[in-house]
Amino acid sequence: MLRKIALWIDERLHVSKIYASTAGHSVPASAESWFYVFGSGTLLCFIIQIVTGICLAFVYVPSANEAYTSLEYLNYQQPLGWFIRAMHDWGSNFMVGIMILHMTQVFLFGAYKYPRELTWISGVVLLICTLGMAFTGQIMRFDQDAYWGLGIGAAMMGRVPLIGPNIVHLMLGGPIIAGETLSRFFTLHVFIIPGLIIAVVSMHLRLVLMKGINEYPEPGKPVNKLTYEKGYEELLKKEGVPFVPNAIRKDLIFSGLVMLGILFCATFFGPSGPEGTPDPTQIRTVPRPDFFFLWIFSVLALLPEYLETFLILTAPIVGIALLFALPFLSGTGEKSYHRRPVAFLSVVVIYLVVGILTYLGTYSPWSPQMDAWSGDQMPVKYIQGRTPLELEGALVFQNKQCRNCHSLGGLGGQRGPALDRVATIMTSDQLVRQVLQGGGNMPAFGKNLSPPEVAALAAFMRTLRAPTESPVRNSTEPAQPGR
Amino acid sequence: MIVRRRRTVLLITIVLVVLVPACDWMPGRPTPAERWKPKSEIKDFNQLYAQNCSGCHGANGGQGAAQPLNDPVYLALVSDEKLRQTTAHGVPSSLMPAYAESAGGTLTSAQIDVLVAGMRSRWARPNEFNNVGLPPYSIEDAIAKGSGPGNPDRGATVYKTYCAQCHGEEGRGGEKAGSIVDPNFLALVSDQSLRTTVITGRPDMKKPDWRSNLDGQAMTPQQISDVVAWLASLRPGTEAKTPPEVKTARR
Amino acid sequence: MNTKESESQETNNSGVSRRGFFLKVGVALNALAASLIAVPLIGYVFSSFTRKGPYQSWISLGPVVDFPEKHTRLAKYRNPFTRPWDGATGDIPCWVRRVAGEEFQVFAINCTHLGCPVRWFQDSRLFMCPCHGGVYYEDGSHAAGPPPRGLYQYEYKVENGVLWVRGGQLPTLSEPV
Repeated sequence: MLRKIALWIDERLHVSKIYASTAGHSVPASAESWFYVFGSGTLLCFIIQIVTGICLAFVYVPSANEAYTSLEYLNYQQPLGWFIRAMHDWGSNFMVGIMILHMTQVFLFGAYKYPRELTWISGVVLLICTLGMAFTGQIMRFDQDAYWGLGIGAAMMGRVPLIGPNIVHLMLGGPIIAGETLSRFFTLHVFIIPGLIIAVVSMHLRLVLMKGINEYPEPGKPVNKLTYEKGYEELLKKEGVPFVPNAIRKDLIFSGLVMLGILFCATFFGPSGPEGTPDPTQIRTVPRPDFFFLWIFSVLALLPEYLETFLILTAPIVGIALLFALPFLSGTGEKSYHRRPVAFLSVVVIYLVVGILTYLGTYSPWSPQMDAWSGDQMPVKYIQGRTPLELEGALVFQNKQCRNCHSLGGLGGQRGPALDRVATIMTSDQLVRQVLQGGGNMPAFGKNLSPPEVAALAAFMRTLRAPTESPVRNSTEPAQPGR
Repeated sequence: MIVRRRRTVLLITIVLVVLVPACDWMPGRPTPAERWKPKSEIKDFNQLYAQNCSGCHGANGGQGAAQPLNDPVYLALVSDEKLRQTTAHGVPSSLMPAYAESAGGTLTSAQIDVLVAGMRSRWARPNEFNNVGLPPYSIEDAIAKGSGPGNPDRGATVYKTYCAQCHGEEGRGGEKAGSIVDPNFLALVSDQSLRTTVITGRPDMKKPDWRSNLDGQAMTPQQISDVVAWLASLRPGTEAKTPPEVKTARR
Repeated sequence: MNTKESESQETNNSGVSRRGFFLKVGVALNALAASLIAVPLIGYVFSSFTRKGPYQSWISLGPVVDFPEKHTRLAKYRNPFTRPWDGATGDIPCWVRRVAGEEFQVFAINCTHLGCPVRWFQDSRLFMCPCHGGVYYEDGSHAAGPPPRGLYQYEYKVENGVLWVRGGQLPTLSEPV
């Protein structure tokens, strides 16, 4: 009886045919590898994001006036609201991370080569969409970082020649960052980009089914447009296995681990923020982007000025164009990274560069420490046994915000050099000149220091050395004992 | 078989019922303490002190470049009103900046009250000074209490008696302490600051207060006013030394 | 396929195919209607491109006496182009420097590098940016760091003892205040 009903349904819905051409499709036995689990992992994260995102939308209010309140309500009042926020937050981190692993694997295994160019291109679109989701998601957490993150975006768009102002107002939905800006990014985050992702993922998956999963590459088996598809068919006939239940096993294990990972992070580390109402008059804030954009934040701090506008406007376009062009630039030839040293090295270099930039971004040494002058204590060894004038000099050092950029005893800003041993490097005259005239990315303090302040500051800085070291002196003057 | 399945269902239900509320006790749950507050609503003394004061006055109120705030003598000497006023408006023509929002600083008057109250409750030991004749805090107080204005000439003698042993015969510095007649130093400190330091010393650096410069012979209020007047008389004309722009700005 | 071919053959003789005509009319009708719908839609979404002139209006920053001479103080104003649901995002801060008498400089809060909020330090008389370390002198000129120019300045006027500035939009390099 049950069987009859099943057959009746199948005749109308063609379930078994769909199954045979999707889950049951044949994949090369070599694709049954731990390296091939990242794509499904990313998709799983996306599904988690959809589910948790819908849950958040039950409560979240996309209004500039209420968004922050509703986030705090989620965190502190709505039962398990914090948990859903944490799942969505960590889910996005996992999604970006696993997607990057997936992309790296595809690149290293040459899977973008003939005949899978379109699979790669749709993947690049998904990469852009996912990063777009990560950025717009950060805006949904409508706090101070979101507000100033939008400000940074607007400032970048404002560098576009001719139509800059129009683009800025299109992005902000008005003259300033306000209600319409949030509505715009909400629309992107909840309707436009997810819709695009669903559409492009469908195409991505269909291409995987149509053009097959890349066989595990072997050195010395280059891709040839004339023979590849035939060879792949033969390979499937010879050693093809059904995706379900063979190849899916490792995907399943990985997916389970990913879910547990997100769950673990969500329960143990919780959601991030919201950090501060999106009130621009709260100017004592230190805006930072989320983890995956820290490296861009670093790049913007380190670019030389003459390159900056040019690179801000062209680098993203060139980068994306290169990604799109990749399958046409090297659509054939060796697949295995063992025979593609340039490809392998580019991955290493990109990972190193982005990794180092991210690391720098986590403590951003180029930013002044805004509270260092009043908060970071002077090491006691620089105080003990000093003359009254030198003590006043130490006060000048704090009072004039020198500490915001120069550290002493490991505390203070890192924008300028640490000055713990400055007396062994610069003479009194050099110190005074540097303070008054600035230079080397230091402002000139000449107008803002009185002569006694300069004298006191120089006297203090001449004591900044190890007790065993003597300060440098002007070589035209004879050495004096003591100082 | 069916019984076992029912049991499983029951078990899962129990686990869910127990686990779901348990989630609210998970370590990741944000606590009200982590909730963001505007900087103007921080009312915790330690946080305010660490952010605004420890740079100059030291991490625990002492061993900084500026006047130690954890000195019971100083706290017995100075009134709450004076502490509040100094914190809010700074000390003109010295390196103590103004912290009140109304004076271009970052602290609300409520936060300044927290700082003043916190310094008192943490570091003041008023009982120790019940039987101690503290000198008047300011020259105005001293005059109000009947002692005369400071006399630089007498001050020079007072200096030789009480201070020269460490700061040298002429104040240019000795074995134990540095010069206090350096014109640049004098240009940067107020008379009140000189007076306060003469009275309190620097206990955090083992520098004696007004009672212990000489064994068993405390300085009198008049002597204190005189020695400060002497030091002030050595200060070069501040008008010439400080650019007018900077000077007016501090007022 | 077969039916279509036969149909077209059948009607080829008369020159114009009735069905082909209908198809063309149908497509044309849809294209026309769609573009009639699309024009207002595009106009709605991209209204910023048809806007004439920048958002600017005179805004009061309060009585001049609130700003002591030779000092730089934070002032706040409500942006004149706000929506009712903008909340705190419509309150915009700016730095007001009263040089002397009725001579002012009013700076936008935004760093000219990437728009972060600069902070004034009255002891060193510098503006510092917390993002990438841009530093400006008290007159707004560039002192150090990556900013490509000095701070954005509002146009101002003093009327009946009240300071007014002309503003209303987020300043960027291509459209300063």
